[in-house]
Amino acid sequence: MAEPYLRVENLTKQFGPFTALGGVDLEVYPGEVHALLGDNGAGKSTLIKTLAGVHQPTSGQIYIEGKPVSFRSPRDASAAGIGTVYQDLALNQLMSVTRNFFMGRELKGPLGTLRMDEMNQIAHDEMLKIGIDFSDPTQAVGTMSGGQRQTLAIARAIHFGAKVLILDEPTSALGQKQQMGVLKTIKRVRARGDIAIIFITHNEIHSRLVGDRFTFLALGKVIGAGTSDQIGNDEMRRLMAGGAEMGDLEQELAGI
Amino acid sequence: MAERSEADRLKEETWLQRLVRRPEIGAFIVMVVIIVALAIASDGKAFNALGLKNNIKIIAQYGIIALGAAALMIAGEFDLSIGSMIGFAGMSMALMLKWGLPFGLGEATPFLAFIITLAMTLTIGWIIGTIVVRSGLSSFIVTLAFLFFLRGTTEVSFRLINQSTQVSGLPDYKEESWFANILGGEVFGWFYDAWYWFGQKMVAGVEWPARLTADNINYLAALNINRRLEQWVTGFDARFMWFLIIAAVAYFVLSRTQLGNWIYATGDNKEAARANGVPVNRVKVGLFMFTAFCATMFAACQVFDTNTSDAAKGNLMELFAIAIAVVGGTLMTGGFGSIIGVVFGAITVGLVANAVFFIPEIDGAWFRVFLGSILLAAVFANERIRKRITGGI
Repeated sequence: MAEPYLRVENLTKQFGPFTALGGVDLEVYPGEVHALLGDNGAGKSTLIKTLAGVHQPTSGQIYIEGKPVSFRSPRDASAAGIGTVYQDLALNQLMSVTRNFFMGRELKGPLGTLRMDEMNQIAHDEMLKIGIDFSDPTQAVGTMSGGQRQTLAIARAIHFGAKVLILDEPTSALGQKQQMGVLKTIKRVRARGDIAIIFITHNEIHSRLVGDRFTFLALGKVIGAGTSDQIGNDEMRRLMAGGAEMGDLEQELAGI
Repeated sequence: MAERSEADRLKEETWLQRLVRRPEIGAFIVMVVIIVALAIASDGKAFNALGLKNNIKIIAQYGIIALGAAALMIAGEFDLSIGSMIGFAGMSMALMLKWGLPFGLGEATPFLAFIITLAMTLTIGWIIGTIVVRSGLSSFIVTLAFLFFLRGTTEVSFRLINQSTQVSGLPDYKEESWFANILGGEVFGWFYDAWYWFGQKMVAGVEWPARLTADNINYLAALNINRRLEQWVTGFDARFMWFLIIAAVAYFVLSRTQLGNWIYATGDNKEAARANGVPVNRVKVGLFMFTAFCATMFAACQVFDTNTSDAAKGNLMELFAIAIAVVGGTLMTGGFGSIIGVVFGAITVGLVANAVFFIPEIDGAWFRVFLGSILLAAVFANERIRKRITGGI
């Protein structure tokens, strides 16, 4: 087996007395989709924010290509090749596609001027590569559909050198057709072979469709992990429910 | 069925449609209406040589602070301390010029008085900005505190040092100091020289009656020629130049540079900007310092123009600045706005504020009625623009 691009060892994160992550291990390989599943409040968001450099871990270690790293800001993480696509996509609705694409990493000419034509071209080409032909990169993001926004955010992360692409519930809050569009995009990125994808989702069907490897979180801990062959559908459903047996749940529901 | 993509649903627009959808269009139309109405109502007096100079004086004053307020609003914050900052900066310069530098360091030159004052106001701007970004409190309340704090400090300083809340009768520094002259003197004399030259051509060979009637005085005034057929007005106030410089720089920065992209990104969605590595806090603190700079320029032009200052200077100016920014198409919620629109807004509001001097029969208080009305109209118009851009959210 190849070396994981990103490895997380016994990561903990506390906010005051509250333990958001209680010792999480994770391995992510290039060319694979690693589905991270868990209920609300399981610690998924805290985990990805720690990987993205927004939070600093209380203890534990992150390795990139075997080397220990520590991120003091999102800039550090992004420089190390971790590209995060948040649920809100970190897009500004009132700004144009291009201005969003290069937000914080603008191409500069003399006096800090923007090289707008070049930026328009790159934004257009990068989005075309992963599946949408966007004719006018000067239009505001507010006019785009949810799926298009998702694609923009993913294209942006890849263009800026993401080797690990973290997708935070990219299929939630989308219509059925657009969900499939996003899954197609994920598959296209996976097919490149050089990018590791962490796919966070609530949806067992979606994770099954694209996932190569699974990690289940509950109450800040890993309660199950494995490749798609190792984890059967029943097991998956049990782990998604936070480890509770479906049978128990059915009984509980029947008792009310 | 042919392959249809999401992108096809956006209609191509003609340049005219694009022009009509520009955020400045409302402010532009209102401005044109006001210019025409004022020209007719004042019988052309508002735009004769002196009328133009006086109108541009107040437009530039409003404009300088409105540009600061607008840039800050685009980044999603307010500054209510602009007016008090004007008073504070004016006090600081006037007291130094009259009573010498602090700590007995000797006489103050106009340059030293300005630089030391600017250092103070920029520091205050930095403090305000730092409090806002560190505490996460609303800038409305933090700058409201500084509105009182600075106005009080201004008045107390006047009384302690000067025993009176005004300084008047300072020497006319413009005469000797080039520095005072570029702030309080006259600029663009060539414009009025050219006007005078044309005026002379127009009256050459005309036999003037011994007693000039009111009508031909008006005619002469429009030609920039006084009763003795000499040049009547020699230049604009220097603040006009500063207004143009600040507007040009602000336009360039906002629309063409990385910093501009950061300012829009900060005001639109702070968290999104931060996640993409935009230094949101530094952008905001920098813009609070920019409004302080604009207020200081306002005060410096005033002090060196009139050679006076008093504790009430700049009163209510913060509200005019914000009103003009909104009339110019700046969104209250941040993330959107146009420097050109703000310039149009400043012209509109400046002209109406001055209208009473050219049309004596109207009550000056109508100005505030008008300002309130266009402010409300502008807020509704801006909201419509925002909804259109964000797809109705």
